[in-house]
Amino acid sequence: MTAKLTRLSFLALPLAATMAFGAATTVHADDWQPTSSVEFIAPANPGGGWDTLVRTSSRVIQEEGLAERNFAAINTPGGGGAVAWAQIARDAGNPHKIFATSPPIILVPLAGTSRYDHTDFTPIARLITDYSIVLVPADSEYESLNDLMEAMAANTSLSVGGGSAPGSMDHISIAGLASAAGLNAADVNYIPFSGGGEAMTNLMGGHVEAVITGAGEAAGQLGEGSDIRALGVSAPERLGGALADIPTYLEQDIDYTFDIWRGVMGTPDMPEEAVAYYENLFAEMLETDGWADARDQLGWLDAYQTSEEFGDFLDAQKEQFSEVLSELGLLGD
Amino acid sequence: MEAFNNLMYGFGIALEPMNIAYVFFGVFAGTIIGMLPGLGPISALALMIPITFAMEPSSGLILMAGVYYGAIFGGSTSSILLNAPGVAGTVATSFDGYPLAKQGMAGKALAIAAYSSFIGGTVSIIFLMLVAPLLGKVAVSFGPAEYFALMVLGLTAVVSLSDKSLVKGLIAAVVGVMISIIGIDLQTGTERYTFGAAHLLDGIDFLVVALGIFALAEVFYMLLRGGGGKEQPRNAIGSLKLSGRECRDIAAPIGRSSILGFFTGVLPGAGATIGSFLGYSMEKRLAKDGDTFGKGNIKGVAAPEAANNAACTGSFVPLLTLGVPGSGTTAVLLGALLVMGVTPGPAMIESRPDVFWGVIASMYIGNIFLLVLNLPLIPLIAKILDMPRPLLLALILIFCMIGVYGMSFSVFDLLLLLGFGLLGLGMRLFGFPAAPLILALILGAIMEESMRRALQISGGDWMIFIDKPISMWLLIIAALSLVLPMVKKAIAGARARA
Amino acid sequence: MTRLNVNQVLALCLALVAVGYLAMAWQIPDFPLPRPVDSDLFPKVLGFTLLGLSLLLFLEKPKAQDIPDELDPNEQAQPLLLRPWSRVVVTSLAIVVYALLLAPIGFVVASTTLSFGLAWYYGYRRHGVNMAVSLGVVLALYLTMTKVMDVYLPTGILPL
Repeated sequence: MTAKLTRLSFLALPLAATMAFGAATTVHADDWQPTSSVEFIAPANPGGGWDTLVRTSSRVIQEEGLAERNFAAINTPGGGGAVAWAQIARDAGNPHKIFATSPPIILVPLAGTSRYDHTDFTPIARLITDYSIVLVPADSEYESLNDLMEAMAANTSLSVGGGSAPGSMDHISIAGLASAAGLNAADVNYIPFSGGGEAMTNLMGGHVEAVITGAGEAAGQLGEGSDIRALGVSAPERLGGALADIPTYLEQDIDYTFDIWRGVMGTPDMPEEAVAYYENLFAEMLETDGWADARDQLGWLDAYQTSEEFGDFLDAQKEQFSEVLSELGLLGD
Repeated sequence: MEAFNNLMYGFGIALEPMNIAYVFFGVFAGTIIGMLPGLGPISALALMIPITFAMEPSSGLILMAGVYYGAIFGGSTSSILLNAPGVAGTVATSFDGYPLAKQGMAGKALAIAAYSSFIGGTVSIIFLMLVAPLLGKVAVSFGPAEYFALMVLGLTAVVSLSDKSLVKGLIAAVVGVMISIIGIDLQTGTERYTFGAAHLLDGIDFLVVALGIFALAEVFYMLLRGGGGKEQPRNAIGSLKLSGRECRDIAAPIGRSSILGFFTGVLPGAGATIGSFLGYSMEKRLAKDGDTFGKGNIKGVAAPEAANNAACTGSFVPLLTLGVPGSGTTAVLLGALLVMGVTPGPAMIESRPDVFWGVIASMYIGNIFLLVLNLPLIPLIAKILDMPRPLLLALILIFCMIGVYGMSFSVFDLLLLLGFGLLGLGMRLFGFPAAPLILALILGAIMEESMRRALQISGGDWMIFIDKPISMWLLIIAALSLVLPMVKKAIAGARARA
Repeated sequence: MTRLNVNQVLALCLALVAVGYLAMAWQIPDFPLPRPVDSDLFPKVLGFTLLGLSLLLFLEKPKAQDIPDELDPNEQAQPLLLRPWSRVVVTSLAIVVYALLLAPIGFVVASTTLSFGLAWYYGYRRHGVNMAVSLGVVLALYLTMTKVMDVYLPTGILPL
């Protein structure tokens, strides 16, 4: 029962966190508390990005004693998230149901395979982000991103592999980059693989000429004696650690950045008090040592945004994605 | 002798008391997870990541690797006893394992599965140890064109798997590819045959089809043929002993399938399932008594079991030497390693020899544990078949349902399982073989995907399949394997007439 | 009119499936970007192959293994609910009911009831043993998955 006592003693903390973050939320965070365990849904199978986020944050929240109630990690796979979204959309107003989210919440509806998009749900907080990275074989003739872009302009069959279907994250990322570099987005010969790992294997074997994937996923592949080399990252500033040597797109005079963000959303019309509670809870979680350890090991970067900021950000993302998709001719009606 | 010194160093790590405990716990948990249909090694490992979070990386990987190969080892048990494959890699084992069990030779089938798994596992660890660093190059040499050719070669096995009626076998295979096409097409993001159902967007899970067509259909079939309580008891287990002749019979298939399985495992994306099917169909074609495959031939158990365990070990090659995952399971392992602060890749053998050699050494120990653990358990586990028929049928059913639900958490998949059970029953009643459907289901999707990917890279030039030497040779072998038996038959026919 | 044999009936059914499949293949939209082989090629090839194979099946003479075996006449004489085909139908319905009730009444109750009920229906009369085995197996699986593996399963009416 000691665990329970320590958890109770943390009840006073949300207030402190609100002040520490001084964010837009002035609602009293301790007005509302979960009255039953919270269902934290990963709209995918165990092992993927959403699942890792859900399980890691549930674990940190529990270990650090941030919430009185249990956060139950639930997997609802199917349709790239569409199955889970449909279920959550039916549960309007439920304050005990939240889910992990990332660009597919915008891209999947744009592709026409989900009836629900981000506007159907309540944004709670953006938590972390990753960036895209452009890779070529170590012995490639392309020394900079501009070399590659010139070659792509001259030869539209130059193959660029990525880890997802056309019209989804990696494709948007490279098409947007090409467009920003003055190419026709639709001229990118994007080769979809079933994951970033498979794309990188094909790059090492020389089956494709370049690959776009997540920087976190590629980090382990780069360095001394590696078969592959990075030309640029989509971050606004240089990244740290193993990726510190890689120039950003901006440094190479291509005005383009791309975020692979992850955050948390709640059921449609979730009560304001509940939103404020979760918003603060996650803000608090990001400050703990337990989170810092897990985050660094998983190669994530903190990118907290409050509910309101996150909502605006999502709208802006939708606009950006729609633009690229319509340039590609992939925007359904 | 460098390999020997390294191995000794590895054993130094693997034999630490804690690590021995981890190996033991890993293979034990793996065996159980493998036996339960549905809950496969992927989810099990993903769910274990929090447990390994704080461990030494070598211990963590030793534990998780143990779960992985333990599951492939244990998966054969439910394939043989219940016709319900525990993991995807052991589907082929049920083709002959289950008929053997029905003939009262469950003990023998399980023993052969255990020995073959052990040998397949051990042979491939030796390969892994000796040539892993060189094999990284082989693994990446397979691009889309080569995969397409490999899948074509694999699909030619449909002919030998449909022995009763070629037409019906081919129909089953076409239906298998049709099932594999359901869902979002990765090459274009277009929905195909989803009927607007969000549950179908990701396609139909292979294990749902396999459990339906094999296990559930078998339950239905038994219900039709007097599932009541009047079934007289039979000698369900039989002896575990193999005669000298039987040992000689299975020695060559085990050896060949171990090597084939290992190299299949090394190729990213191929893995234990495809390895076991390739091993099975290779032995069926090579065997003089190939026509008794599928009716309870011991070679039909030995070959896929040696191959799937070898492939499982082989799949560690791309993971450990390149740092790229070759399968869903190794992708999760890669994630776990990153969490533990180890970056697998070309530099890992130098930078973290404790992890690399420790894991390899632990695999030897793990395989011995598995054999020692499983052999005495066989008579015990096989007792399942002594259960009263009505209770057994109900339990198999509930097993499949729980397995499917625990894998996808989806009620929709339970209904799909029922649908495939009824399809399987129909196929059974009207003499359609199930094996070609399953084979085509696995290979068909990869074949289409890699063909289109290759053509997308080549700009629509079909010569890419001939220009690449590996792809060309695989296609030639595929063509020969179709033509040669026909030529043989024609010659034999001509002689008979002369 | 001569009666069609088994293979011919099957062939006609399969041909129908193939035609329906092909009709759907033509509705797969073109991909806006140039693809050497688009999403619809494979389905079209498969549809025509199935059509061709059903023609071959139509011409193939049925052999022994193509015709379902006769069912046991004693079994057929049983009360309607216990006849062989009734057993398949009842089991299928039970699975559907199980699937629909799983979430509302919970994993443990639904699974135990299904297992116990089916074993009873198939003719197992030692209810005590049946209950113990059904509950034991389900609980063991449930606890392994929820407590050890940390997988969420619907709890339903039980506070487990």
